Amino acid sequence: MSTSLYTTRRVKNILAMAFSILATAIGLFFLVWILWETLSQGLAGLKPQLFTKITAYREEGGLANAMVGSLILNVLGILIATPIGVAAGTWLAEYSRRSRLGPTIRFLNDILLSAPSIVLGLFVYTIVVLPSKYLTNGDVTFSGLAGGIALALIALPVIVRTTDEMLRLVPGTLREAALSLGVPQWKLTMQILVRSARSGIVTGVLLALARISGETAPLLFTAFGNNFMTFNPLDKMPSLPQIIYEYTKDPSPDINTLAWAGAFVLTMFVLALSLIARFAFSRSKVSHD
Amino acid sequence: MTKMNEVASQPGFGTSPHAAAADLGQVPAKMTVRDLNFYYGDFHALKHIAMDVPEKKVTAIIGPSGCGKSTLLRIFNRIYAIYPNLRAEGEIVLDGENILDPKYSLNRLRSKVGMVFQKPVPFPMTIFENVAYGIRHHEKLNRSQMDERVEQALRGAALWDEVKDKLKQSALGLSGGQQQRLCIARGIALKPEVLLLDEPTSALDPIATSRIEQLVEELKKDFTIVIVTHNMQQAARCSDMTAFMYMGELIEFDRTEKIFTKPDKKQTEDYITGRFG
Repeated sequence: MSTSLYTTRRVKNILAMAFSILATAIGLFFLVWILWETLSQGLAGLKPQLFTKITAYREEGGLANAMVGSLILNVLGILIATPIGVAAGTWLAEYSRRSRLGPTIRFLNDILLSAPSIVLGLFVYTIVVLPSKYLTNGDVTFSGLAGGIALALIALPVIVRTTDEMLRLVPGTLREAALSLGVPQWKLTMQILVRSARSGIVTGVLLALARISGETAPLLFTAFGNNFMTFNPLDKMPSLPQIIYEYTKDPSPDINTLAWAGAFVLTMFVLALSLIARFAFSRSKVSHD
Repeated sequence: MTKMNEVASQPGFGTSPHAAAADLGQVPAKMTVRDLNFYYGDFHALKHIAMDVPEKKVTAIIGPSGCGKSTLLRIFNRIYAIYPNLRAEGEIVLDGENILDPKYSLNRLRSKVGMVFQKPVPFPMTIFENVAYGIRHHEKLNRSQMDERVEQALRGAALWDEVKDKLKQSALGLSGGQQQRLCIARGIALKPEVLLLDEPTSALDPIATSRIEQLVEELKKDFTIVIVTHNMQQAARCSDMTAFMYMGELIEFDRTEKIFTKPDKKQTEDYITGRFG
């Protein structure tokens, strides 16, 4: 029994706590600063015309076409990425057990997950934008579709990863229980495992959506941008992040304010998505335990 | 060891010849295990197992952790086959056919040999669907036939009275003991011939445990039951035959009463009396 041992421990504990609190405070400080800046600057530009007018009117206009464009691009991206991602994740979790291909693909997927988005944009530029220009004699060049594909490539690894992880969280006993009833693997996967992991998979898709809705770089040379309202995925298509990017560089302070308003709307959208993903589904990532 | 087995299965033969065969000796074997070896990769987990599982009796498998009792049970419906690098050699004859033959359909095997696991694992669906799910895969039934089958299975598992008013509710809302009986209902709904229970009460409280034990007593009228248990009292209470396993070998297999009163092997006696394991 030595009091000095306890004293040393207490001091170490206080130091460790102090460092952790400091680290948290630094992180939070910048986060709050960013949010505060977006909020205060963005609120100034938050007028009804933001949602009703298009960017062609410049200072007198709003961001309606960019919001619609963003919506179309994100929906395209998610529609393309979700079926492929869920299927790939399911294969990884349920079928790759006996092959060496599984870990390899999982590894490659992790690389894709951290690939710079601008590289993915360039890739889509090369394999979608240039060929479509060539094939249509220049009628279709940059397009919403190309932008959607670029966003899908960013969303894909996120969805693959979460689907894989959520399915692997489903206890093995559930698989055994179903298989011991003579149920074949595909029925087990579709009817029991995916159902168990459903909320986790949906959360992954929502997080992927949150991730792609803020992407700018891959859209610059795929969707390109457009100052008019368009619903045609084969047109050049504007998006919120791309307009924010353009408007921030503009010398006019009114245009800068619009950029802030756009940033505010985008932040709120992502925040709402994250909150939905966290709260609506957090009660059970895997509904069996 | 092989000899032990013959002893157990031959009528009129045994260490106490008068008692040994009288009740169990004449019971036909439902499953016959012959020279069964099992490997986890290079690890030889089960060594030359041979035993006769008597029909419509309860056979308990006891032994210390890691002795291979669950492994043995999991070969009886070939559930081990879902994992890579596991290999079984030898024969398990069920109704005259070797179930380890790759040509023996897993579908058929699993409709004949049902299994209940250590932890209750209800499917994430309604109580009704949990029971109907397996049936639907094997048989085409109309609605009223299905209702009847589900009720019959739930009654068989002594759960009907507790759930009859909430069949459409999620099975995940049931208590642990109820979930385990639901899993038994799900298993017997397929009308299997053999029911494998892998430590079915180890996750349950004493009241739920005693209900399951009573249920096992009921079920043996219709099914051949093999139960793996850690709990020796449980084996003594509810089984007719007991197999004692140690380090992947079947040390002794005989009538439960004999195993627990005057086992032939020293190892068995040591385990039963709590000197090791």
